[in-house]
Amino acid sequence: MPLVIFVDDSETALASTRIVTNSMPIEVKQYTEATVALAEIEAGMTPDLIITDLNMPVMNGFEFLQALRKVPATQRTPCLMLTTETKAELKQQGKALGLTGWIVKPFNPAQLKQAITRVLRLPA
Amino acid sequence: MVILESVEELLTHIKDVQIDAIKLSSDSLLMISNYIEKNNLEVDDDVAKALQYQDIISQQLTAIIEAIDSVQSNIDRFNHSHKTDETLAVDSIKKLQEKLATTINDAKDKKNRFSGKSTDNTDFDEIEFF
Repeated sequence: MPLVIFVDDSETALASTRIVTNSMPIEVKQYTEATVALAEIEAGMTPDLIITDLNMPVMNGFEFLQALRKVPATQRTPCLMLTTETKAELKQQGKALGLTGWIVKPFNPAQLKQAITRVLRLPA
Repeated sequence: MVILESVEELLTHIKDVQIDAIKLSSDSLLMISNYIEKNNLEVDDDVAKALQYQDIISQQLTAIIEAIDSVQSNIDRFNHSHKTDETLAVDSIKKLQEKLATTINDAKDKKNRFSGKSTDNTDFDEIEFF
């Protein structure tokens, strides 16, 4: 099964995404710190999709994305931003860093599932 | 200044209440989500949206706590100047006003940034692909 990792400093936000995606044919790993996810990726974990929050302490979503692009295994891994931020400048910044898409919280469960299905090319 | 010390005490109390509110709402949401997961319950769109509100509330309250920290630190600096030299205090009160105005503007900006679509009664936005 494809591996999808979620990174969000809010445990309740992670719980929401876990509940919504639990019926999907994917393996889910969740992290409250981007540095921990990054360390596992650098140690050999190869996610098929990364979904991250933007505003996080220690390492924010953009810093995480920049770090991911420096790791050969995740240079081209699709990455979606899941955030409350709606500013066009931030979306542009994300796009320039190689972000695949932008999802505004609170997300619609069906749309989140569709986005994962589309990016991973899962059977609809 | 005694009045500012009272304001500081009040601000500390507001922060304490907010920290408790964040913790209680988080614990409550995690209990509900554990129940949903344990019983393998399907959630509809409204419940999924409701589950995400705690994260937004927590971000909003944390932003206010940060603003209060900034206000308290500026009040401390003003109080220190006031005690050291009264002539400096006149200048300091102008700086205090400017810094408080900046803090309020930052806090208002964060309120908008951290709301996402939660205050919007329209349907969810489409996911934007690049």
